[in-house]
Amino acid sequence: MAVGPMTAQAFFVLTALADGPRHGYGIVKEVADLSQDRVRLKIGGLYGVLDRLAVEGLIEPDREEAHDGRLRRYYRLTSEGRRALAEEAELRAASARVVRARLGPSGAEAAG
Amino acid sequence: MSGDLERRYRRVLRLLPGWYRQQWEEDMVAAFLDGWLTGDPAADEYIRKAAGPSWAEAGSVAGLAVRLYLGGAGAPRRYFAWGQAVRRFVLTVLLMHAVVALYVLVLASWSHRLFGLPAPPASVLTVSPDGLWPAVYYVVNLGWVVTFVTLALGHYRTARILAALAIIPDLVALLQSRLTGVMPAPFGSWALWVLLSVTPVLAMAAFHRDAPPVPARPWLLALPAGCLLVYGPVLAAQLTGNAAWLPDFAGLCCVIIAAACVVHTPRALSHRAADSGVWSLTLVLLAVDAGIYRLVTLGTYLHDPHLINVSLTELLILLAAAALVAPDAVRAQTATPAPPPYPGTMAA
Repeated sequence: MAVGPMTAQAFFVLTALADGPRHGYGIVKEVADLSQDRVRLKIGGLYGVLDRLAVEGLIEPDREEAHDGRLRRYYRLTSEGRRALAEEAELRAASARVVRARLGPSGAEAAG
Repeated sequence: MSGDLERRYRRVLRLLPGWYRQQWEEDMVAAFLDGWLTGDPAADEYIRKAAGPSWAEAGSVAGLAVRLYLGGAGAPRRYFAWGQAVRRFVLTVLLMHAVVALYVLVLASWSHRLFGLPAPPASVLTVSPDGLWPAVYYVVNLGWVVTFVTLALGHYRTARILAALAIIPDLVALLQSRLTGVMPAPFGSWALWVLLSVTPVLAMAAFHRDAPPVPARPWLLALPAGCLLVYGPVLAAQLTGNAAWLPDFAGLCCVIIAAACVVHTPRALSHRAADSGVWSLTLVLLAVDAGIYRLVTLGTYLHDPHLINVSLTELLILLAAAALVAPDAVRAQTATPAPPPYPGTMAA
């Protein structure tokens, strides 16, 4: 799989699934928590992202559970998805290290 | 069980193509209802009756629908073909705007004797005098050139903003003309504005995050080529006193698109060129747009049967030429090369 820049939405959706399978709305809530409300997915946006991640082989359906008369479908990371997420996290961490080094102590103070 | 709330959301989901709904609808409905229902029977009863998808929620579904119908990477062939055809339609109409704009700016420079040019002959149409509105007109023309180049270079969002700004002065001038009876600058008609400005600006929605990159070089080269091929002969006719033979702008659009259809026909009939069907579909879209424009502008010639006949002939030529490529355009929806996979991991 070719690696390109990952959108914030895809990054947080993959992160939301890193500790176990989740259903659609569970992902929406987890993404909002993980991003401290910076990424707020609408359902249309969520399924646009899930569709792409599934086509890319980064996530797959896990199971279906009945809830209140409806079926909730759970999704999980594939091994490819776990690897892509780890690579992206490393890339972002490396970028953050470079920025911190450039800013020096004054940057940390400015960020509060 | 979930009553009106579910029904309202399913109604919004009808915006999505059938194949997509088949795959994702139940999941989307479940996720949507999970976001609303609290587990408290009394509260849920009220929510089911009173609540509905927000504008933002409906907007996210509409955005998804646009990305799916005007498909990009990963879309089914049919929707990818439509997406590519609409993207090329937009680029072609913006190219037309840019070519006209360059011609207008060249004439303006000439008539103002910029760069030490000698005065143009009287037979060459010169543009309007100085003033606020003519200045706005020149800026708008320059704006179309910048918009086209920006889009061809792949800066989709910037191009969308520039194009949306470029159509506003025309609207203001048209409204002023409607109210006062005086057109403040040589802006076009309502038909021109709707069909050749608003339509492509709306169709720019096809340049979404899944759209494949535009091959910049051929489109950028098409700008000087278009100026030479279209306005070279126009200028030559004006300089030699043969301007009476020139068609009006709607006629010029019909003739150029008809010529493009004829040139493309051998490829369309050969069925060998992999990408020919998408170009055929693009030409059909252009022909429909130009044909409607020609039809609408017939009204301005009601006083002159000769001009009506000329206009109808242009329309017939356009229809006949479009009919040559139409079968290939239909075939494009199944025979278009498979779309590229998603560009890496969710590249935006």
